[in-house]
Amino acid sequence: MKQDLYRAVYCSRISIHGPPRRIADELRTILKVSRRNNARDDLSGALLFANQCFAQALEGPRAALERCFERIQNDPRHADVTVLEFGPTATREFPKWSMAFAGDPSPEANDPLAFVVFEGAFARAREQAGSAVLGLLHGLVRREEAWALA
Amino acid sequence: MPLASPHAPPRTGETAAITRAGAQSKHKAAANHKAKRSPAPVTGGAREESALRDAIRGLEEGMVVLDPDLRLVLCNQSARRQLGWAGAPPRRGLALARLLARAGALEAAERAMIETRCRALLATAAGAPQPEKLTLGDLSLRLHRLAGFGVAIFLPTGASEGEAALRDPLTGLGNRRAFQAALTAALARPDGEVALILLDLDRFKHVNDSFGHPVGDALLRLVAERLRTSLRAADTLVRLGGDEFAILLPRADGAEALAERLVDLVSRPYLVEGHLANIGASIGIARAPMDAREAGLLLRRADLALYAAKAAGRQQFALFQPEMDARAQARQALETDLRRAVALGQFQLHYQPLVAVPAGNIIGFEALLRWQNPARGMVSPAEFIPLAEEIGLIVPIGEWVLRQACRTAASWSEAVLVAVNVSAVQFTDGARLLRAVDEALASSGLPGARLELEITESVLLRDAAETLAILHALHARGVRIAMDDFGTGYSSLSQLRSFPFDKIKIDRSFIHEVEAQTDGQAVVRAVAALGTSLGITVTVEGVETEAQAAFVAASGGHEMQGYLISRPVPADAVPALLARPHTTPKRQTTG
Ligand SMILES: Cc1cc2nc3c(=O)[nH]c(=O)nc-3n(C[C@H](O)[C@H](O)[C@H](O)COP(=O)(O)O)c2cc1C
Repeated sequence: MKQDLYRAVYCSRISIHGPPRRIADELRTILKVSRRNNARDDLSGALLFANQCFAQALEGPRAALERCFERIQNDPRHADVTVLEFGPTATREFPKWSMAFAGDPSPEANDPLAFVVFEGAFARAREQAGSAVLGLLHGLVRREEAWALA
Repeated sequence: MPLASPHAPPRTGETAAITRAGAQSKHKAAANHKAKRSPAPVTGGAREESALRDAIRGLEEGMVVLDPDLRLVLCNQSARRQLGWAGAPPRRGLALARLLARAGALEAAERAMIETRCRALLATAAGAPQPEKLTLGDLSLRLHRLAGFGVAIFLPTGASEGEAALRDPLTGLGNRRAFQAALTAALARPDGEVALILLDLDRFKHVNDSFGHPVGDALLRLVAERLRTSLRAADTLVRLGGDEFAILLPRADGAEALAERLVDLVSRPYLVEGHLANIGASIGIARAPMDAREAGLLLRRADLALYAAKAAGRQQFALFQPEMDARAQARQALETDLRRAVALGQFQLHYQPLVAVPAGNIIGFEALLRWQNPARGMVSPAEFIPLAEEIGLIVPIGEWVLRQACRTAASWSEAVLVAVNVSAVQFTDGARLLRAVDEALASSGLPGARLELEITESVLLRDAAETLAILHALHARGVRIAMDDFGTGYSSLSQLRSFPFDKIKIDRSFIHEVEAQTDGQAVVRAVAALGTSLGITVTVEGVETEAQAAFVAASGGHEMQGYLISRPVPADAVPALLARPHTTPKRQTTG
């Protein structure tokens, strides 16, 4: 079972249009559904929303992870998905979280660190971007476990 | 992009069931549901009839019941599907001829045959005991004379016929046959309005080759699922084969919006069997009745649109435009002429010198293909080479070029290089390419070391191990390898190290930028420095002015080529060029 543990890290751009309230509502729904589904499917991970972009790390048994990713791909609430990393992993980075969340849905809230990472991620350098995003998520989750939305 | 999630309303429609796995049981449920709601007849006979109807509706086997006038009593869902009936179920009382006329799965002769046989059966004494068998292509029917009544037609669904024969086993979608039936049926509807969407995956072969067929198959299933979830119940989705899908929409408008969504959706990344797969989708659309009214023509036109979408760079959709027909015809004519040119030997080689920097002496000539057609005049290689590559003619043309260039070079007074362009297509059969090189060298007597092969970056997109093996085999013959048009394609500097290049030719676009901007300068300088450190000769193409030549010298380039030195010249003008004093531009010698 251990060797079947995989992790995917990707980022994407949000395609929900509307006031911050509307976006916050959608995010809350996404999180609620994600947490329910991921707990059921033994998946864990973290989701960041900043600068109108998502970054997500998802980890768990390969088949469940691939199925979940496929559902996420079919989701019209985001676009321009770029996979930064996908492969087997020995350990979970977010064992405690069915889906940790960090972010602020208001468009003015630009996290400068996230900005730098997203810029890099959508450009070429994928190998580095994967671990950079993962590191960023990790830091944010630790820092913000207290105030995570929803 | 719409916010609502892709809609997939419950499939209550009677149409399009042809293509959908698992639709059968839902249709049964729908039929039962309807039967319950219809005003219930209470009398004994009526109740029996209604129960019988329900039973027949739910049959897996197709069944059509006709009264003694050959008017329809009942035609169940399975029969409609097999006959290629689209739209609402046929009315009771519909004449058999009319029913058959709208059965898209049948040819005219087959329709006539069924009707004739039914009439013949009616004429037999009531209660003819044996069912009559009738085989039409892969459709097999049984005709029963019903005692005291009309005729029943059964359409069995066996493993090799009916249902299974209409299904693509890999994805569970309909197959090409189901598609043809659905298309014919849709076109036969009174409005005849249809949008036909052809979808081809980009780079699927690459995924299949690098991760293996099981991964490719799993990927096709995911693609099918993404497509399926974005369609409506009345749309028909089939896999035509390979990585080709087709969608029929029962209306012409809305096709573009859907195509745009599908290109986006299918082109999103996939995680499949532990691999990350990035593929794209190209789409061609043709609409009836505006683009064509007949199935074959509609399909061809959608195909032309698909071709245009791919030619425009893939991962997009294109609507059929009347010009595409003209373009296809022009292409066809060009192909005919090109084949004739190969047979008649209408090609010529011109030679353009490459000179050393800064000495200015000619170190070789690049052989350039010219096609002089009696009617077309001089045809540009940019026009005919892509076509020749597509239809495979590039292989014999390339072999002729090799032979001719080696023979000509062997006659030159100086032992300079001759450079020949080799197409990526020629690399798909490495053994044949090596044979052609050997024959060209042997028959001309030219030493391998005087032959240089110029390849483009697209060669490197192929199987790396195989390409490397071919390049090493060429090296073993003393033949030199040049990377042509460097900087225009996908090549990266790291590839320069993984492949055994003797030379890099920097694309002409960079030197043209030199005078205007600094980007070109930086590229030329960087590549020259890199080439020098890797021991690779760096040639700058397209040098047209003294200033550009001076820049090449200043930035450390080793060779140059361009109109400043000489245009490409016919073979008989080469000796004069070789005899001419060195063409070093003035400023260069001083600098
Ligand atoms: C950025 C983003 C991240 C998401 N992450 C997850 C996730 O981790 N798990 C999940 O089940 N759904 C996730 N979703 C939601 C899925 O796209 C989809 O709506 C959901 O899985 C459907 O679940 P249901 O079939 O239970 O309704 C995400 C959606 C977005 C836009």
